[in-house]
Amino acid sequence: MDFGDFLLKNLRQFWELTGFANAEWGNIIMLAVGLFFIWLAIKKNFEPMLLVPIGFGILIGNVPFNTEAGLEIGIYEQGSVLNILYNGVSAGWYPPLIFLGIGAMTDFSALIANPKLMLIGAAAQFGIFGAYMVALAIGFAPDQAGAIAIIGGADGPTAIFLSSKLAPNLMGAIAVSAYSYMALVPVIQPPLMRLFTTKKERLIKMKPARAVSQNEKIIFPIVGMLLTCFVVPSGLPLLGMLFFGNLLRECGVTTRLAKTASNALTDIVTILLGMTVGASTQASQFLTPQTIFIFFLGFMAFVIASSSGVLFVKLFNLVLPKDKKINPLIGNAGVSAVPMSARISNNLGLEYDPSNYLLMHAMGPNVAGVIGSAVAAGVLLGFLA
Amino acid sequence: MLAAGMMCCAAATAQSRGALRLNEVMVENTAEGIADEYGAHHGWIEIFNTNFAPIEISSIYLTNDSTNPTKYPVPLGDVNTRMPKRQHVIFFTDGEPNKGTFHTNFVLTPGADNWIGIYDADGRTLIDEIIVPAALTAGQSYARSEDGKGEWAVRTGGADDYITPSSANVINDTNQKIQDFAERDANGFGMTIMAMCIVFSALLVLCLCFYGIGKINSAMSRVNKARAHGHEAPQLKTIKEVGHDTGEEIAAIAMALEQHFNAHDAESTVLTINKVRRAYSPWSSKIYNMREVPSRK
Repeated sequence: MDFGDFLLKNLRQFWELTGFANAEWGNIIMLAVGLFFIWLAIKKNFEPMLLVPIGFGILIGNVPFNTEAGLEIGIYEQGSVLNILYNGVSAGWYPPLIFLGIGAMTDFSALIANPKLMLIGAAAQFGIFGAYMVALAIGFAPDQAGAIAIIGGADGPTAIFLSSKLAPNLMGAIAVSAYSYMALVPVIQPPLMRLFTTKKERLIKMKPARAVSQNEKIIFPIVGMLLTCFVVPSGLPLLGMLFFGNLLRECGVTTRLAKTASNALTDIVTILLGMTVGASTQASQFLTPQTIFIFFLGFMAFVIASSSGVLFVKLFNLVLPKDKKINPLIGNAGVSAVPMSARISNNLGLEYDPSNYLLMHAMGPNVAGVIGSAVAAGVLLGFLA
Repeated sequence: MLAAGMMCCAAATAQSRGALRLNEVMVENTAEGIADEYGAHHGWIEIFNTNFAPIEISSIYLTNDSTNPTKYPVPLGDVNTRMPKRQHVIFFTDGEPNKGTFHTNFVLTPGADNWIGIYDADGRTLIDEIIVPAALTAGQSYARSEDGKGEWAVRTGGADDYITPSSANVINDTNQKIQDFAERDANGFGMTIMAMCIVFSALLVLCLCFYGIGKINSAMSRVNKARAHGHEAPQLKTIKEVGHDTGEEIAAIAMALEQHFNAHDAESTVLTINKVRRAYSPWSSKIYNMREVPSRK
């Protein structure tokens, strides 16, 4: 072999390793999806904190390469850097860390001041189980149906946590679907809220919430964790961390820890979670007929959850005294999607009455939805794992 | 603190080894039975780790003599003595410990009752024991009905009572729970009712609990305010209004006081609150972007 052949042979081998030589239509489609997510985040400002890492993760995960070359770079190749980062998703320890941050960020005062709003958070979980029934009807097995249905909880970390336990092979599609619909909450929810409410109902003014004492704020995470986890121990990783984060925030003596949990830690885990979830959507794993069904079921779950929250408030108003009626526009906030769905309640309320600020009232069911979806995930895990 | 930590570690280790269970025993093996790594067919003892965490079994003791609890110490230094969660390990009872870690220095006796025990590393704490009945014939095993629990029974190796050295005593090819849901709740209605009841119950209990805590808190708040105003406890009912101090009421009182006292000179009634903007940012600061002017000293 002369020197020229040697160079040609090596260049040919190098070419076989490049993305150009290994590209398939699936990769191109997924790269387009990734770019679309990034566009949505940057230009339309749809959940940029989530869609930028996920979108870029999709780009990373779908750069084609020769999987037989043993380069150990793919997210599904044991020992690769991406695989090590992905362990937080596949073993399910990123979601509880995110919940720690959510707990440290969340003010539960609205809920403590008006505890009956918790029931709206419970009612909205019907979206999960409605989607579960639809998933079974389509032909998914019960464990897969449970993992898909949790999209209705509108809580990305919960969806990832549960799908990593019940249907790891569907996790990429479930996570992307959950985050996509969370980003699309401002598009999905308002028409449903208008559809199920009358103009008179939309004008209901709720009494301002009472002031909540420091003691109540401290007792809430302790009692909340004990009560919910005694009922559903399988929800312990999520609920335990959520309430722990909230205790750090409210106890007043761990300000540094609360700040770290709600800022630096959450940011770090969000970056890793979003990027690795995006990268897990390799075309070969992601572009399947099941993914289309999962996106359809995710949409169904969101629609059912938002509708059931609004309808439950209307039902609840039938038994409430006249001066304690609840504006059904806060029913949609029973799905988690904190604080986006509460903002939607507020915006819609202001649209019909510029003096009717519903934000703080909607935060009640909104944070109750976080607890409710974690409890629902625990129930599904208990029944199906 | 160090001592307390070491005690906790020791307790945790002991507790985890306590999860070991004798799971299946064959006193007399046959040519059809499992062979050791030398191809020989000896009796065996299967141990199961009931924990959902690995357990290190080196330095525990296996024995067939209750008067000699430390008869066969499981050797140190073998990576295979770390039992994975919910897994099995078998020891061949061939009386030839030099053949390897999983070969005991005792032999089980066919045709007689065989007592077998596992002792913890201290040689005193009995972890599990079983008496294998004399009626067991060659090729039969004595096993628990399920891994780590259930009744012991003789297994003959038939289709229904199969012998399972180093594997689960009940072989499941599907997840029974999921199978049950698939068969008995095909439309998911049952799951929906059960799960929604649980979710509602959990949040309802929390709701009621915080109604109670809220009531107690406002009662205590009233008591404290009454005391601050110099009232006695029996007078509390008459000063209930002290507790009503919402933001609107405070704002109204403040405005009324302002009007009443008219403390200020004539002013416009427009109150403007401007957000103070800090335009400075280290990113736009010259000191981070420009070198210091060199100066000759």
